[in-house]
Amino acid sequence: MKVEKISRSPLEELKRHVGVIQEAFKQAVIPDRVTIEYPRERRKYPENLRGFIVLDKSRCISCFRCAQICPANAIQMSYFENFYPGIDYTKCIFCHFCVESCPTGALASSTLHDMAFKSLEDMKVKPNQMMRLPATIREDVQSVEYDVTKKGWRLIRKMELEDIKVVRILPKLKPRRAFCLEPESCLGCRQCMEVCPHEAIVMERCEITLEGQIVGKGCVLKITEKCVGCGLCVRQCPMKILSLKEVE
Amino acid sequence: MISTLFEIFKSNMVQIPLIQPIIDYLMQIPLINFIVALILWRPFFAVVIIPGLTVLLLYLLYIVWFERKLTARVQWRVGPLEVARPIRGAIQALADGLRYFFQEAIVHKEAHRPYFIQLPILAFIPILLPIAFIPAGNVVGIKSPYAVQLVVAFLALIPITIIAIGWASNNRFAFIGSVREALIYVSYEIPFIIAVISMIYLYGSGDPYVAVEKQSIVPGAIMNPIAFLVFIIAMLMATSRLPFEIPEADQEIAFGPFVEYSGMLFGLVMVLAYEKLYVMALLFVTLFLGGWSGFYCELLGDLNAPLWLFIKTIIVISILAIVRSMYARYRIDQAVRYSFSWLIALSIVALVIGIAVGWIV
Repeated sequence: MKVEKISRSPLEELKRHVGVIQEAFKQAVIPDRVTIEYPRERRKYPENLRGFIVLDKSRCISCFRCAQICPANAIQMSYFENFYPGIDYTKCIFCHFCVESCPTGALASSTLHDMAFKSLEDMKVKPNQMMRLPATIREDVQSVEYDVTKKGWRLIRKMELEDIKVVRILPKLKPRRAFCLEPESCLGCRQCMEVCPHEAIVMERCEITLEGQIVGKGCVLKITEKCVGCGLCVRQCPMKILSLKEVE
Repeated sequence: MISTLFEIFKSNMVQIPLIQPIIDYLMQIPLINFIVALILWRPFFAVVIIPGLTVLLLYLLYIVWFERKLTARVQWRVGPLEVARPIRGAIQALADGLRYFFQEAIVHKEAHRPYFIQLPILAFIPILLPIAFIPAGNVVGIKSPYAVQLVVAFLALIPITIIAIGWASNNRFAFIGSVREALIYVSYEIPFIIAVISMIYLYGSGDPYVAVEKQSIVPGAIMNPIAFLVFIIAMLMATSRLPFEIPEADQEIAFGPFVEYSGMLFGLVMVLAYEKLYVMALLFVTLFLGGWSGFYCELLGDLNAPLWLFIKTIIVISILAIVRSMYARYRIDQAVRYSFSWLIALSIVALVIGIAVGWIV
């Protein structure tokens, strides 16, 4: 990189001095500051903010997808009535893969992003603590919105308060169901039956003896209407013969 | 004895028509009338109320906050805010002062204990004495035809106390700060004195009354702009403000000569530069901006002149405060070279202009 030689002529120097004085007086009268006074002002956050994650227990089907996909390994499934996810906020990186991977929309993001915990143990949030937003203390009196254009930044201050709300986007998936692609390859291990949370897989007839000899056509599974298409059996199957298919 | 003193006070009181009924009422009460007469006695009023100690204190509270706030705005920060939010942290300096007052003042082992404690208080003598000589219309402490020269002489004493403070602190940073203070002292004092002498030649006298009278049509700043410029730069150097903040240099030597001070003693030495700035600005306003002359309000009577002097001083200092956020600090050799070449040359030009204009006027 070549540095240009700065002109030292007195006229140029004087011009620079005048520029400095102009800029300083301009800033002293109307500063270009873009910071906000945080506890008293609150920034207006966009709709797609990744904040505190809220769980809707009635929608959760205990499919473990959130725990499987979590890149930081922050989700621990804990048991009461059924398995529900609990998030360890010491590890959570707020990628919200869990929210996006949830097939039923049980996990949802909220616009709450500034949380305080009393201890490290408290940061491991239990499923029952995730069902509603935590208690909040609001100190803000006005909200600030950033108006970013190509020309520059501008802050718009309004005396209205932002609500902390839960943004639940239900997945637009067509209903899917598990299907058995090659019934003749089935081992009859019944792991799919054990893993299914809704007891949707029923063994119609099994033509495999306990010693492993195939008699007739092998094993035939019947997948009933109870199937919600969570895909647990697909992951569990040792022969990889199960698959999800869209149904009308 | 008391009655003689009372008569002396009573014969030379400040006349303010606005509060005259209250004063008349208070003068009828024994003992209180003595105190009222003392406060309104012109020399006492000049030294203790305005432009003396009371407004000096108010000015200190104002300027510390104003400077921090202004610098913060230019640098895109917020500045002091949490103390008294409705007035944007305006009493921050008062809060700091109270904290200094109750904090322990530590005197470390290596310090020269008597001087270490004495000097911050001794430094106030050359700062407060000039105020007695600077007149504001009828309100004057000591009337003297050599007031300007006396003020300059007292101002020249302040750096000596600062150098002594650095010596008494017995700390490496304080030593470096003292040496730097001495270098800066040498480099600003000569142009400063020459600039003042040029104005004395211009007015033909060192008497502020003559100076203000001669500025009734054209202010001194227009009669001798070069001296005006030299005085401003010398003022920045003398009070170690930012382009020449060499002796204090926070980032390099951590407040220089005052590095070892804490508590109330630090509070005293911290405001030294601000008080020096106040005295120099008073002299500046008297010499260049028409002193106490201004719009006369009938109701305020004798208070007009001190108020105008004070308002002009505050405006000058407020404008000087912004220089802090505009320029980077000079190196020590740059500052000394600059003052010994350009500044002395400019001051000699100012002297020639002063003599020429003085001869014409």
